[in-house]
Amino acid sequence: MPYASKVPEHSSETALDDATLARRIAQTAPGIDSMAETELYRRLAPRVRLYGLKHLRNESAAADLVQQVLLTTIERLRAGRLREPEQIGSYVLGMCRMVVLDLRRGHVRRERLLETYGEGLAPADMPEPLVLNSARLQRCLEHLSVRECTVLVMSFYDDMPSDEVGNELGLTAANIRVIRHRGLERLRDCVTGKELS
Amino acid sequence: MIRPTCSAPVGLARLVEYWLAELDAATEARIEEHLFGCGVCSRKLEELAALATGIHQLVRQGAVHTVLTSAFVRRLTEQGLRVREYNVPHNGSVDCTVAPEDDMVVARLQAPLQGIERLDLVEGEARERLYDIPFNAKHGEVVVTPRVEELRKLPASTLRMRLVAVDASGERVIGEYTFHHTPYSGRSSTT
Repeated sequence: MPYASKVPEHSSETALDDATLARRIAQTAPGIDSMAETELYRRLAPRVRLYGLKHLRNESAAADLVQQVLLTTIERLRAGRLREPEQIGSYVLGMCRMVVLDLRRGHVRRERLLETYGEGLAPADMPEPLVLNSARLQRCLEHLSVRECTVLVMSFYDDMPSDEVGNELGLTAANIRVIRHRGLERLRDCVTGKELS
Repeated sequence: MIRPTCSAPVGLARLVEYWLAELDAATEARIEEHLFGCGVCSRKLEELAALATGIHQLVRQGAVHTVLTSAFVRRLTEQGLRVREYNVPHNGSVDCTVAPEDDMVVARLQAPLQGIERLDLVEGEARERLYDIPFNAKHGEVVVTPRVEELRKLPASTLRMRLVAVDASGERVIGEYTFHHTPYSGRSSTT
């Protein structure tokens, strides 16, 4: 039985912490607590995806990471092989680190995992990543000072650290960090509607 | 639904340093540990990642009117972006256009920048002014990116840009640049 069933937004599972959900999954085995599994997946998938994006800098590799890490995690919880469910966050982080190392080495284990567990571990849909309104973001970027806009574009287009941006613009890294922070705060306020003229 | 809370939130500046790999390994590991156990902070990081993705996409569409650097533009071309570049001599002019396949257009304004404290860019007949633009005096140029979609809509026309140095004694024009724009005809070249 898959754990892909929908958890209603106001279900009791949404009020539980991660550890309680993990414990419920472990204690229900060999039965399956699909509501707890889905809710845990819904929470952890964005965190694993962000870890993947940061370390792999690739959206589809990050999506693979989510599948591989969370399939393994749920499988281990079901099998009672995760000794301290209250450490679920640390466990998933450790698993992410391991899988990223593997992915970098070119080992692909996802297919093996899917072959082994098949439909029984078919994951819930990946929660949709947050996507901003592009036209609004464009307006907000140009609403900033040119200096802020330039620094944000150079910093975030290719994830360039402050010392490199500063080197190109003839400014210190500390100066870039100040401009970057001020610009980002203003951009965020504008995009979320707190500031837009 | 219970709204999740965080007793030790990671600040936005710290999250940016984390995202841009500016932290030492131990601090990065501590933040990661926190993020995996905290829905509030991981949500904040997700917002930051969405901003980064959005900026990346806008740049690739040539949709951001700003000032960049030559090195940055070079990286864009190395990544496969079709960038139409115009080197405009100091107080000079160029014939220019934008082709359907261009992702971005760049004007490299040559200028003597040594000793200048603040630089403004004044554009067009409407004299739209960009204040305190970033520049590296060593490079002797200012790299301007207009919005490609706006260029595509332009009829044949002449556009002007001015670089204005500003200091305590006032302002002075240090360079004037003229662009003779024509809509794409299929026979054009960059300079």
